[in-house]
Amino acid sequence: MNLFSRPAVQPEVVITHEDVDRAHDRARVVEARARHSMFSRLRLLWLLVGPGILVMLGENDGPSMLSYAATGAKFGIGFFLPFIVLTFAMAVVVQEMTVRLGAATHRGHAELIFERFGPFWGWFSMIDLGIGNFLTLITEFIAIRAGLGFFGVPAWAAVLASLALLYTALMTHRYWTWERITLAVAAFNLVFIPVAIFSHPDWHSVRHALAGWKPLPGGLNKDTLLIVLADIGATVTPWMLFFQQSATVDKGLTKRDVRFGRLDTVLGAALAATAAVATVIATTPLFIHHMSAENYQAAEFAQALEPLIGRVGASLFALGIVEAGMVACVTISISSAYAFGEVASRPHSLNLPIGQGKAFYSIIFLLAALAASIVLIPGLPLVYVVLVVNVIAVLAMPPALVFLFMLVNDKELMAEMVSPRWANAIATAVVVFLTAAGVLFGISVVAPNLFAALGGK
Amino acid sequence: MTTVTAGNHERIDAAEQNLVLSTLEPDQLAEAKKQHVPRRRLKGAELAVLWALRVYLLFMIAVVVYQAVAGAR
Repeated sequence: MNLFSRPAVQPEVVITHEDVDRAHDRARVVEARARHSMFSRLRLLWLLVGPGILVMLGENDGPSMLSYAATGAKFGIGFFLPFIVLTFAMAVVVQEMTVRLGAATHRGHAELIFERFGPFWGWFSMIDLGIGNFLTLITEFIAIRAGLGFFGVPAWAAVLASLALLYTALMTHRYWTWERITLAVAAFNLVFIPVAIFSHPDWHSVRHALAGWKPLPGGLNKDTLLIVLADIGATVTPWMLFFQQSATVDKGLTKRDVRFGRLDTVLGAALAATAAVATVIATTPLFIHHMSAENYQAAEFAQALEPLIGRVGASLFALGIVEAGMVACVTISISSAYAFGEVASRPHSLNLPIGQGKAFYSIIFLLAALAASIVLIPGLPLVYVVLVVNVIAVLAMPPALVFLFMLVNDKELMAEMVSPRWANAIATAVVVFLTAAGVLFGISVVAPNLFAALGGK
Repeated sequence: MTTVTAGNHERIDAAEQNLVLSTLEPDQLAEAKKQHVPRRRLKGAELAVLWALRVYLLFMIAVVVYQAVAGAR
């Protein structure tokens, strides 16, 4: 029993269109669960996956893929392949908590923070999310613009096409349809695997890099710390917490589905980590050939890679960046809209018809349009914006994680689904690690001499 | 005895009402989410951690802005 437990028979029940849509989805889950064949188990998995894969592939967004590309081009694979796998393991630990929270409470993350800790802390959390999401959204349009730029598409056309695609995906007014369309587009993130193969990597070195952990090339300095933070920011960010919990609720997952929610998250992390590692491998030839990748955007990366991986490989790379930006545009806008709806007590579901979800859909449309228009400002230092946004995402993560940690350990909310000790130990380690990485970066900027004395360069 | 009402002046037939009642948990209904969750009283140590992280975040944002401005010059 938790705070949300209610008697089975209610004196009055109000049913909405949103409930009916969700009930249709749940009916298929109930039907699949009632059977015990192998096919039924697979069907159940198919019906219940979604938020985890979407959040992980969504976080393999434009800036993330550019950070991975910059990592491979500047530092090669030695330190960073196992490091990236570690960051995805951290993401699984963190995101699994949002699945449990969503399934146990049927409430979104923003709503729980606001109601449980009050508006004072709630607004802090919302401001972090709002600023972070909007800045990240800008970088997604930067990625789309840069990726399509490789094919000679003008910036205005790239931005308009992506906005049109975003709006079209939402026009279904049905969570299930939206989820499947977005999953299909997100699967294109794996295009970085053939790109890596086109770069003819030394697989022995890749295996060696993954099995052993080489030191940070060039030692610990401001530049390496920036790329380390950018790679962490490419994997764990606050919008992911808000998105996955709200999507879990919108999809209608219950406590019985948590096992599949976990599987969904692990599957998503495995796919996203594979794409991330492939991107680092794909751009490593630039590192091997000592080609400077300073201030590269997607188009420049693709152009620089073309002599090494061919026109097809370079085109796939550019298309992969476009897809990464596009999927993240959708997931990040929706994460903002969910949070707004939860805090403002407005209807917030992808099952809402436009008429009933005016505020919800307006937030998505307006944020995307505003971010897209900023990208068209001439002379904006796009590459620098991308790196800085990833760093800000890492810095905002510890406060967001502490709220998550407190919620998932709240016995009144979670009852028997409260976090076990081992999960708390890992979550604490993640918070300490992220905070320490942020502090080190701060020291390297504010007091470089002190940083050198601490062992950095 | 449960009285079922359609929200937002919608037409929801009896079969769909039954489907909703048989497949969704009571607190999954959109209307049920209007019920507020009671506020939790934060302990001293929890407040200290939240404030420490707030100060940390503001300080680090200032560092990033400084770095961005210095980098742009």
